[in-house]
Amino acid sequence: MDSHQFRNGVRAALPIVFGYLPVGMAFGVLARQAGLTATEVGWMSLLVYAGASQFLAVEMIFKGAIWVPIVIATFFINLRHLLMSSTLSLYFNRSRLRTLGLLAAQLTDESFAVAMSNTSRIENRPGYLFGLQMTSHLAWITGSVGGAFFGGLIDHQSYGIPFALPALFICLLVFQIRKGHHVFIMVVAGVASLFFRWVFPGNWYIILTALVASGVGIYISSKLKV
Amino acid sequence: MRPEILILILGMALVTFLPRFIPMALFSRWVIPGRLKRGLEYFPISILSAIVFPILFFNGEGRMEIQSPYLLSAIPVFLFAWKVKSLWGSVILGMGVYWGLGFVL
Repeated sequence: MDSHQFRNGVRAALPIVFGYLPVGMAFGVLARQAGLTATEVGWMSLLVYAGASQFLAVEMIFKGAIWVPIVIATFFINLRHLLMSSTLSLYFNRSRLRTLGLLAAQLTDESFAVAMSNTSRIENRPGYLFGLQMTSHLAWITGSVGGAFFGGLIDHQSYGIPFALPALFICLLVFQIRKGHHVFIMVVAGVASLFFRWVFPGNWYIILTALVASGVGIYISSKLKV
Repeated sequence: MRPEILILILGMALVTFLPRFIPMALFSRWVIPGRLKRGLEYFPISILSAIVFPILFFNGEGRMEIQSPYLLSAIPVFLFAWKVKSLWGSVILGMGVYWGLGFVL
């Protein structure tokens, strides 16, 4: 693995770190309130590493749920990674299965979004993606264990912290607009996501939107010949 | 660690890992038909739109409702990201505007 690529990946992860630390801390605090120990919080953040489902898990534990329904809920929440994993597969056709396993284990919405902002940097360069994801993962573990140990060191509802990750996603969405018809795809996907979010439970809206909007994308690009 | 929590964590880890891993493992080895590949090109922009838009129009309980502080902060971030192309700048600007709006709204 190339250490130069790895370092570039680490640098690219810093805005994610900035968002993950306070959110991780909030998770740690909630997990303690639900009765998890700091060690259990650390292991969960290390092995599961999926924010939304970890928040849901502690909420369900708090309400007295046992592991089976929590694992089922986790499965459905994290199914959306199928899409991101499929997309990433295009760029790693020369990597070994072991390398892919490592990259897959640390795949999140945020690291995927950053990786996609410049695909020339990830194409058959597992080192870059590994640096990016490893750094983000470390921030998530540090934040959540820190929150579990020390409680909320900072008020995570203040200083604009709730908008850190949304701002990251908005900017990375803008970076995806490279051709004129991409604006149209974005509007179609935006409207579709609101509709699906409204109609369907859970976060099926992400998968459904991706399928519908990409279908529209294929249709338009075949009409425009772009 | 309590055994029931260990089982919970391992179960969650497994069902999270598989959807992250299986497509990458399969599609990196198969030749993907051109049409499907073209669809994958639109996944990033579709997924990001699907993450961003509901944040602006749904509240924490999942009811449709205009989230004014989010929506009002999103507009300058969108324009800034478009013009300046800076990820850090967008995050800092967004947090600043959101924080400031908290005093005004």
